[in-house]
Amino acid sequence: MRDTHDIEPEQLGRWLYYAAQGDAAAFRALYDATSPKLLGYVLRILGKRELAEEALQEGFVAIWHGAATYQAHLAAPMTWMTTIVRNKALDLLRRGTHDAALDGPVFSPEIMLALQDPGATPIDALLISRDAKALAYCMSMLEGTHRQVIGLAFFHDLSHGEVARHLAMPIGTVKTWIRRSLERLKTCLVKDQQA
Amino acid sequence: MSIRNDPVLRDKLAAEYVLGTLKGGARRRFEDLMRDDMALRRVAAAWQERLMPLAEFSGQQQARPHVWGAIERRLDLRRPHAAWQFWRGGSLAFWRTLGMASLASALLLAGVLYSTLVNVPRVDYVATLVDERAKAALLLTADRNGRELTVRLVDPAPVASDKSLQLWAVPRQGAPRSLAVLAGGGVTTLRLPDSVVGTDVAMLAVSLEPRGGSPSAGGPTGPILYKGSWAPMM
Repeated sequence: MRDTHDIEPEQLGRWLYYAAQGDAAAFRALYDATSPKLLGYVLRILGKRELAEEALQEGFVAIWHGAATYQAHLAAPMTWMTTIVRNKALDLLRRGTHDAALDGPVFSPEIMLALQDPGATPIDALLISRDAKALAYCMSMLEGTHRQVIGLAFFHDLSHGEVARHLAMPIGTVKTWIRRSLERLKTCLVKDQQA
Repeated sequence: MSIRNDPVLRDKLAAEYVLGTLKGGARRRFEDLMRDDMALRRVAAAWQERLMPLAEFSGQQQARPHVWGAIERRLDLRRPHAAWQFWRGGSLAFWRTLGMASLASALLLAGVLYSTLVNVPRVDYVATLVDERAKAALLLTADRNGRELTVRLVDPAPVASDKSLQLWAVPRQGAPRSLAVLAGGGVTTLRLPDSVVGTDVAMLAVSLEPRGGSPSAGGPTGPILYKGSWAPMM
């Protein structure tokens, strides 16, 4: 069974390819398929719907113009698009006053529950892509505080020092946690691919 | 400090670059290094594949309709296009990217061709039709004196039994002209129609159609799988 949360990367790649040639209908299909995820994401970064929609708009304009330079061998379509929209959101974040957004949760409540206790909220039942499920499984193996540090850094574009200040922890501890968490995620994702 | 020979450090920096914790001067230096280091770009790309799915942990939000409206206006997407018109539409950048790759494969194939066709010196035009990754799928040769068009399927993707591949000449003005519905494989030789090699032909393309060919008189109805343009043989 295929649902809209796991559109095949091949399909996204085809739409992107046709969009690169000026096919507006393919571009619209790409937008419909991916914009809910991308908006959900940048809304967590920016905290305000107006700003998040502005980032989404800037992102899709850049995707249209950049579609011809997309390199399928370097990135999956969703990865490439997410990176573009992320950068637009971070540009907006740097331009504004962004301290307020730091207090909100970066993960949706269901994801939070699943990461804390995959037994009670199965990761497989989440409405996310296969890749995101694999990552969620590996994130659930990290300690809660380590997950929080990774989430803070990624969603709010924080430095080690900023994460440390926000959590009132020594910077050395934050650095170690991040390094170890990234190593563990890498090892865990390799295992998952082989399984 | 050289990180070229330190795979552990390279991996750690790439991971923190993607996560975002690599900041300031260190981030700029890492970006400079990536510019000349394909292997390092790949390490970073692998970390992007690993970490970008974090974005999905946010849950989904439906954008309000005016967002698409604004995108459409900024990119002028509402101009009416026939389905096939985008082939020659504005995306020059796409052709620039593809240009070098298809030129390389055309030269390669032209070399192969020359060695096999050395006794048939009347080929005066050759076209390599490539897929979206610039991989050659069809090779076309035209002999204007003998009025023959030869189509070789080099490495096309398999076609379902209820579909056919159809070859088109796309002129600079007006609708594409069908040249042939291609048979299963190998080599097809056709009579070379008038004005297929003329300067008014902007492009050759192969579309995927219902078995037997496009049901529309106006041009292709299915997606364009391969395309390319003529290059004159010396």
